[in-house]
Amino acid sequence: MTAVRGARIALGAVGVGFGLWGLWLLVDAVELPALIRLPIWLGGAVLADDFFLVPLTLAIGWLVTRWSIGPDRHRTVGPVRTSLLYVGLTTLIAIPLLLRQGKGVNPTVLPRNYLRDWLLLEATIVLVGTVVFVVQRSRFTFNRSRASSGDIGGR
Amino acid sequence: MKLPAPPTEKSFPSALHHPRVATVIGRWLGLAVAICFLTGLFSHFLQDTPGWLDIPSRPASLYRVTQGLHVLSGTVAVPLLLAKLWTVYPKLFAKLPWPPSRKALTTALERVSILVLVSAMALELFTGFLNTLQWYPWPFPFKQTHYALAWIIVGALLVHLAVKLPLILAHWRRTPADRTPVAASLPPAITGLTRRGLFRTVAGGAALAGITSVGQSFSPLGPVAVLAPRTPNIGPQGLPINRTAKDAGVARIDANWRFTVTGPRQLSYTLDELRGLPQSRSDLPIACVEGWSQGARWEGIRIRDLLHLCGAPPGSRVRVVSMEKGGFYATSELPPEFADDPLTLLALRLNGTELALDHGFPARIIAPNRPGVVQTKWVHRLEVIS
Repeated sequence: MTAVRGARIALGAVGVGFGLWGLWLLVDAVELPALIRLPIWLGGAVLADDFFLVPLTLAIGWLVTRWSIGPDRHRTVGPVRTSLLYVGLTTLIAIPLLLRQGKGVNPTVLPRNYLRDWLLLEATIVLVGTVVFVVQRSRFTFNRSRASSGDIGGR
Repeated sequence: MKLPAPPTEKSFPSALHHPRVATVIGRWLGLAVAICFLTGLFSHFLQDTPGWLDIPSRPASLYRVTQGLHVLSGTVAVPLLLAKLWTVYPKLFAKLPWPPSRKALTTALERVSILVLVSAMALELFTGFLNTLQWYPWPFPFKQTHYALAWIIVGALLVHLAVKLPLILAHWRRTPADRTPVAASLPPAITGLTRRGLFRTVAGGAALAGITSVGQSFSPLGPVAVLAPRTPNIGPQGLPINRTAKDAGVARIDANWRFTVTGPRQLSYTLDELRGLPQSRSDLPIACVEGWSQGARWEGIRIRDLLHLCGAPPGSRVRVVSMEKGGFYATSELPPEFADDPLTLLALRLNGTELALDHGFPARIIAPNRPGVVQTKWVHRLEVIS
């Protein structure tokens, strides 16, 4: 137990040291007017995460779980949940690219057609989700027919 | 009218809000943060080398790999951070300790450290990603803030680890419960995701974010880099650029243009005379702080040959002066290891043709293991400074 206690004290002390060093770097390098506005951006980042993105995920998760209670949906819910999650994640990352499309500082920054690529990416995710669903379902049906014919185990 | 009660820690029925899940996803996120921090530190020191540090010029592609990893680990950290926050979300609604006591003070301090960690990390990932687009919608300087926040994040993370160490150790190893489906308030085991299923889903999300963006520095995946702001082979002479000649205020040179070297002997060359000096070839990447990189074939005069011609002593440091107007990078310095490296060139040609104006015509620096911002373009003077 003393080893753990020692490790905790060491980690905490080094952590506080690093944090204070970072704070000093900020105060040293950033002008006062910018420094005053930095906490607004830090607070905004917390609001975006804890009061928008995570609640949104929880709400959609709750809806998906409720929906999945319906008949025969327990086999669909896995691919649906994963596809929705991946669509959301890739869209989140794509938002800045879509907003800045055509506004790059030179033609080699943001050179793609990001709207087309984003749509293709989402279509691919949905397609892969559908394929996974179909494969899982056919496997399940196959196993069930084998089970009902008394063929399970094969030996 | 009575308002509905605010949520409490108990309002989140999913059994996936569990310390075991937080431990596993926390490990992955911790690894991503560690890679991101160390590669970022390396990049910082390459751009702003402190006097006590000698950075080697080899391996030539080291910076290409470390900075590619920096941006990749940051991008992959986005889904990992969101998953981690989702897992521990009920903690946000834990009751604040009251009345004041020693224990209450510890809890309050811990929650402050979490606030620092979450806010700094979310803003760090946001500013880092937007920097790869060269988009700066905030009122503070990117480079200094990104660097300082990195130290604050690592500090807050170490404090977090110190606080949670017993819990982390208790949930470090896998348990049979990882494979048990959980279904909150539903017929058991019907729709539930196991912890293992959740880990796989999160790992898949991280992999998806990585695969759709790493192509900007790893060209075989260039065609699927749909979430990356750069695509390989796009740009003048098939190579992307950061700063155009127009942005730098540089126009084409006239007949009076001279390239000079100031040292023990003063040298002065016209462009044709430079072309007449012995030429060497280097295959070196341009690797930028924004994470994109691409290999190219450069031809020009070795810096060490120029130093020899001007009689500079071995181990000289060189200041490189550009014709660009203003900006942080109008001059750069080549430390002795880089000036002496046979791969370091005053390049005149790129991929078999004369340098395009946007790539630094008539002459630019190309050196191994260096960030693109110090591969100075439109060079017209070298100064031997020690």
